Amino acid sequence: MTAKKPIRTGRPDVRPDAPSHVKGVKEGNAPGNYDRQDGHLPDGRSTAERSTGINADQHDPIDPGMPNLSPA
Amino acid sequence: MTTRTAGRGQKAETKRELVEMSWDPITRIIGNLGIYTKIDFNNREVVECRSTSSLFRGYSVFMKGKDPRDAHFITSRICGICGDNHATCSIYAQNMAYGVKPPPLAEWIINLGEAAEYMFDHTLFQDNLVFVDYCEQMVKETNPSLLRRAETTQAPNSGIHGYRTIADIMRAFNPFTGDVYREALQVSRVTREMCCLMEGRHVHPSTLYPGGVGTVATPQVFTDYLARLLRVLDFVKRAVPMNDDLFDFFYEALPGYEEVGRRRVMLGCWGAFQDPEVADYDYRNMADWGRRMFVTPGIVLDGELLTTNLVDINLGIRILLGSSYYDDWQSEETFVSHDPLGNPVDQRHPWNQTTLPHPQKRDLEGGNYSWVMSPRWFDDRTGDHLALDTGGGPLARLWATALAGLVDIGTVRATGGSVQINLPKSRSLPEMSFEWKVPRWANTIERNRARVYFVAYAAASAVYFLEQAMAEVRAGRTKVFSDFEVPEEGIGCGFHEAVRGVLSHHMVIRDGKIANYHPYPPTPWNASPRDSFGTPGPYEDAVQGLPIFEENGPDSFKGIDIMRTVRSFDPCLPCGVHMYLGDGKVLQQVHSPTFGAAQ
Repeated sequence: MTAKKPIRTGRPDVRPDAPSHVKGVKEGNAPGNYDRQDGHLPDGRSTAERSTGINADQHDPIDPGMPNLSPA
Repeated sequence: MTTRTAGRGQKAETKRELVEMSWDPITRIIGNLGIYTKIDFNNREVVECRSTSSLFRGYSVFMKGKDPRDAHFITSRICGICGDNHATCSIYAQNMAYGVKPPPLAEWIINLGEAAEYMFDHTLFQDNLVFVDYCEQMVKETNPSLLRRAETTQAPNSGIHGYRTIADIMRAFNPFTGDVYREALQVSRVTREMCCLMEGRHVHPSTLYPGGVGTVATPQVFTDYLARLLRVLDFVKRAVPMNDDLFDFFYEALPGYEEVGRRRVMLGCWGAFQDPEVADYDYRNMADWGRRMFVTPGIVLDGELLTTNLVDINLGIRILLGSSYYDDWQSEETFVSHDPLGNPVDQRHPWNQTTLPHPQKRDLEGGNYSWVMSPRWFDDRTGDHLALDTGGGPLARLWATALAGLVDIGTVRATGGSVQINLPKSRSLPEMSFEWKVPRWANTIERNRARVYFVAYAAASAVYFLEQAMAEVRAGRTKVFSDFEVPEEGIGCGFHEAVRGVLSHHMVIRDGKIANYHPYPPTPWNASPRDSFGTPGPYEDAVQGLPIFEENGPDSFKGIDIMRTVRSFDPCLPCGVHMYLGDGKVLQQVHSPTFGAAQ
């Protein structure tokens, strides 16, 4: 048996014990975050992709004219 | 000014026998409010009163240097019952400082959460704490003849609430055994659940942020809220007529009871429930979006509405010292010399306040005796520093909203002299309408009566907010937060109504951190001590000159009329009331007309 290799990760930008709100650390309020979130459309509507990453299209409404009310 | 220190009906130069009586602690979960009085039992009158606080909080001190985005999480901890009001107010101040406008659905969600909070907290306070002072057991001990009369007095609205006589209502108030007491506990659980649905958690919300909310707006969230609201509406529809029956009985059975806790009509309301159509949190437009709030901000003086302009309200706030354990900050740094509209900002304004605590021995006789400062509102027409009170919250809110006549959302309509509240059909009761009319007095009874009407107001508003929120969701507009950047320099102010009255948060940001932060909740306004002009605070003013209707003499005196008065201001949760009587230290004193006048 071979030893499992550790999961390859990138180099951390901050130390784990760094306090919150360190300059350079991105936070939820940062401009552009909304646009980067899956399933959140620029016009304020959303799709099922905000709820699930698995076959999200299948959870959208069958009629494009219907409001898209994705589950939580 | 309202220094009513010389009691009504007293004669000058008569010999008065005064008994010192004190209630300390009287209020709040941590019990830090004390009421010290001198009572003239022969003339059945409270002659002098001082309100003290023995606790220093220091939020304005330790908020300095913190990241402004943490402000609402930290300041929420100011209170263990209305923390979400603080979080909301802090978020309003932050939105202004960051220049961010939350999406409409986020505003409806906050409004729904806050409406649930008003319903929860007012119900808990009124039915589980205020009514203990009006319950059968208490009235039997303090006013047995009143109870006898209540036994034979029919309740006019018994067809709605089901209690045949006033004494039956009083029995329903008995702690732990009375029906109203027990039902109110259930209702306060349900309304708290409603708050949690919108704000994630109660009392310290987890899904409220500047720029919006983290609540995932699904149809389920709103239907869960609606199902609970319909249940609460049943309770509200019975509660309002029951309260009216009880309080009308007090006026009728105890002539002169309107003088208990009466003070000059000097009410402040900072407004609640933002209208997302106009609320952009830009200070320059604050007068406009303030007037569109669904509880209108305003200052009512002697029955006249002085202003509904939040800019005027903001600039008039003065924090005075005079009997508080602090050093003056007049020569300290001025953080904000002018507001964004170019108006000068006073050094005694919260934006410029520097808190300099100075612990010292309590001196009730002309010295400093409280950790509470003396917030006042400067009336530039007369030069007076008005000791505004909140009327426990609802009285000022309803009064300002009624006179302004700006709110008209179908379920709630302000007429200029009253507020009409229309409640839809609920689980077991049909549609019902109530009308709160501007009362003749600002006194203990009217403060308490307004509270139940405001529960109805909040419930009716919630119906409207729910319709608006559902319309957003049905249109697919599910966005609930907006991005923002924290500026290096900025100022903000938030105006809101905590459950028991005015709430403001003032913030100054420098180098991306908080340089100055001052929350002003309602209780500092209500519980303030005598200021540098000698004006007593509202509790002191309302209790001084109070006629005593209790039938007990000094030996078994409970001070029920004083307790009812102080509690009518909703001094947060008076869960632990300890009364100190001792043997009653008797003072022999020759009265002069200036006795007890402000120093």
